[in-house]
Amino acid sequence: MLKWILWIPALLVVSTMMGLPVGANSGDEHPDEDFSVSCRECHSVETPEVAKAWTEGMHGLVNVGCFICHGDGQEEFFVSPPSDLCMGCHSSYEVKFEKSDISSCFTCHNGHSLKFHE
Amino acid sequence: MSCNRRDFMKLSAAGAAAATLGVDLFAGDLPEIGKETKWHKSVCRFCGVGCGVMLGVRNGKPVGIKGDSKNTINRGLLCVKGFYLNKVIGAKNRLLKPLVRVDGKLVETGWDEAMTLVASKFKELIETHGPDSVAFYGSGQGETEETYVANKLFKGHIGTNNLEGNPRLCMASAVGGYLTTFGADEPVGSYDDLDHADMFLLVGSNTAEAHPVLFDRLVDRKKKNPAVKLVSIDPRKTPTNRILDKHLQVFPGYDLAVMNAIAHVLVKEKMIDEKFISESVNFSNGKEAISFDDYKAFLEKYTPEYAAKQSGVTAEEIVDVARMYGKTERVVTMWTMGVNQRVSGVWLNNLIHNLHLLTGKLGKPGMDSLSLTGQPNACGGVREGGGLCHLLPGHRAVKKEAHRKEIAKIWNVPVEKIQPKPGKHTVAMFEALNSGDIKALYVMCTNPAQSLPNLSKYLPGMEKAFLVVAEAFHPTETSKMADVVLPAAFWGEKEGVYGCTERRSQHMPKVLEPAGEAKWDADILIDLAKRLGFEKNFDHFKKPEDIWNEYLLCTKGKDLDLTGATYDRLKKVRGLRWPVPSVDHPGTVHRFVEGDPLFPKDKAAGRRMYFYGKPDGKAVIFARPDKGPEEPVDKDYPFALMTGRVLEHWHTSTMTGQVPQLVRAVPKPYIEIHPDDAKAMGIKDKEMVKVTTRRGELTMEARLIDRPLPKTVFIPWHWAESLSNVLTTDAVDPGSKEPEYKICAAKLAKA
Repeated sequence: MLKWILWIPALLVVSTMMGLPVGANSGDEHPDEDFSVSCRECHSVETPEVAKAWTEGMHGLVNVGCFICHGDGQEEFFVSPPSDLCMGCHSSYEVKFEKSDISSCFTCHNGHSLKFHE
Repeated sequence: MSCNRRDFMKLSAAGAAAATLGVDLFAGDLPEIGKETKWHKSVCRFCGVGCGVMLGVRNGKPVGIKGDSKNTINRGLLCVKGFYLNKVIGAKNRLLKPLVRVDGKLVETGWDEAMTLVASKFKELIETHGPDSVAFYGSGQGETEETYVANKLFKGHIGTNNLEGNPRLCMASAVGGYLTTFGADEPVGSYDDLDHADMFLLVGSNTAEAHPVLFDRLVDRKKKNPAVKLVSIDPRKTPTNRILDKHLQVFPGYDLAVMNAIAHVLVKEKMIDEKFISESVNFSNGKEAISFDDYKAFLEKYTPEYAAKQSGVTAEEIVDVARMYGKTERVVTMWTMGVNQRVSGVWLNNLIHNLHLLTGKLGKPGMDSLSLTGQPNACGGVREGGGLCHLLPGHRAVKKEAHRKEIAKIWNVPVEKIQPKPGKHTVAMFEALNSGDIKALYVMCTNPAQSLPNLSKYLPGMEKAFLVVAEAFHPTETSKMADVVLPAAFWGEKEGVYGCTERRSQHMPKVLEPAGEAKWDADILIDLAKRLGFEKNFDHFKKPEDIWNEYLLCTKGKDLDLTGATYDRLKKVRGLRWPVPSVDHPGTVHRFVEGDPLFPKDKAAGRRMYFYGKPDGKAVIFARPDKGPEEPVDKDYPFALMTGRVLEHWHTSTMTGQVPQLVRAVPKPYIEIHPDDAKAMGIKDKEMVKVTTRRGELTMEARLIDRPLPKTVFIPWHWAESLSNVLTTDAVDPGSKEPEYKICAAKLAKA
């Protein structure tokens, strides 16, 4: 857990360096990579822990790929996806979610393994 | 902005960490979906599962899509393609105005000019060369109403049976299987059986990618009931393998022996239902009736050892699967193109049904022989609507005089107008374009210049003929070749009905105005009918419901009775499963049993199942010998080439190729090669490879992966820039006329 907490300031620093507006998804930008390589292929090398968590989770099992939540990286990109995207498939939770005081699906769920936070 | 990949990956990881902690670092803008958005109940435009979707519309624009949580098929879930359906509506390649070819180039024109040209050309050809000089080629993606109007115009008024649809290329063998075995097309059971089955046998089906939401249901069933068994008979490892208990990875084209061997074990070990067999089953060798003993004698050859030698799996594996099948009470078998797109497709369908009939695992919750459909309305519009060259609406055949009379009466035409001889099936139709026997073709909502097998052979005929393409998108490989391209309204911009895999018809509303000058396909066909002089019998079609109501007359009293599925009712419910003979009938979960409104209790006389499509109510177990592929591997072409799908693209990518997220997921063509073969040939991952068959060659990137067996390779077929069908064979099943897309012989070389 400590390791993850240490990432947060790193994120803020890096995003500031990148000129990314923190707090605005529309401002998220993916580095200009070789987009003829799929998200999964590249991230399984570059962020293997994230790829593993996704693969072992329900979204990995039913092949709901990176792009569904994070976008294609060019025309649309969310570093941290809005919960509205989740509602595309999980609309049965919509009312419950709206009535709650939880701001995001990820308040309770890990974004990749989808497990509840410990 | 500058940031290297490693920095970025750290950023992504930090985002993930933030999410893990529940810290909303990027509580950002959401898509333009707000309280003013109105959500409309509809049906997904992609595969044949029939998922319910809600289309969000705001200020006349499509702003969102979500799964319909009230629809019992998908219960709110979507696959990755359906997730972007709203984006396809506004795709950059939407065709906004009619196009006609002038001096070799397609140029924009007005509707009247375009339709005047189409009508005059069709009229001239019909008068000069007869009605069989023109043809129509439709789609399992058209609405039932659209296919119905085309059928009425071409078969009933122009007077040609040269009317086909692309389900010939995907479902015809399943139709042949259901008709020969049960005497009636389409499944006995329904998706409800998925919630009760204790074993699923998947044959030639990559369910996870081709029917993803049904795969979700299998995952759900397995998670809640870990004792549930999943078995696959398939030549390739796929994402479906994630939940399998056993995979019989057969060499492509040699699974008929395996199915007969499973039957062999069931009979030898007495895991059969003698009572059910004696009450409800006949036996046949395909030419004449045989006895059960004859059938047992036929099975003698198909020992597990024999099948193992044919298919490459072990005898023990076959016995294990047979025992699992025999000892599990509730079994559902599901299959798709790996079975249907074969020269022995109908036979293999029969062999699947055989197992259910031998064991009586049919017509009860959790038991079914369920063919999975590839297109959203292949069942509804084409199979039920009669959109093939030998059919008439309502599961009727052109060759039956009584059927022609019934339909001629509804169409208000003399019965002589409908020809008794079937027209040309799809491959023959495109051959006839080559020979010049067919001189004009109207294509609606499909892309044959990419999807036909042995493609290079058929392109010259399409080039030569007067080609009309009604399509929402341009350019496609087909529209590029057209003489006239007519802009068609797309999903959401038109009202109609789709009928999915499980006999369920569902209503789709019109909630958007068509893009540009696009028109509803049925309106375009009605306009053509009027211009050809048939106004009298088409003028009453003022709205989609008028067409549906006329179609319902064709279903009254038939096995697919939809009389109770009125528009009023369909608009309120999440579809109805036929037979649904009255407006107070809830629809039918299982056919041929009590509870089916058509079940004849008197004739059944105590039998649990009565297959009323057969004269004596008995289904047929067929003794079908094993048969290999049309083009086995040999020393010159030593690889078995398979073609198929990936999850993120659909068919010719006309739609999915416009969604950046889906393009990004699987950006380019590739060929899967087993690492052992690659090593032997010195091919490295991502190197370019030349694939050659007796019909053509392609060069594409190699993907070294142990999904295909050694000496087999796999190519997804979605990309226009790499037309996999220049490689495939156009050999067809002799019964269903469906081509063997799934297997041909190939050779590989480093490019």
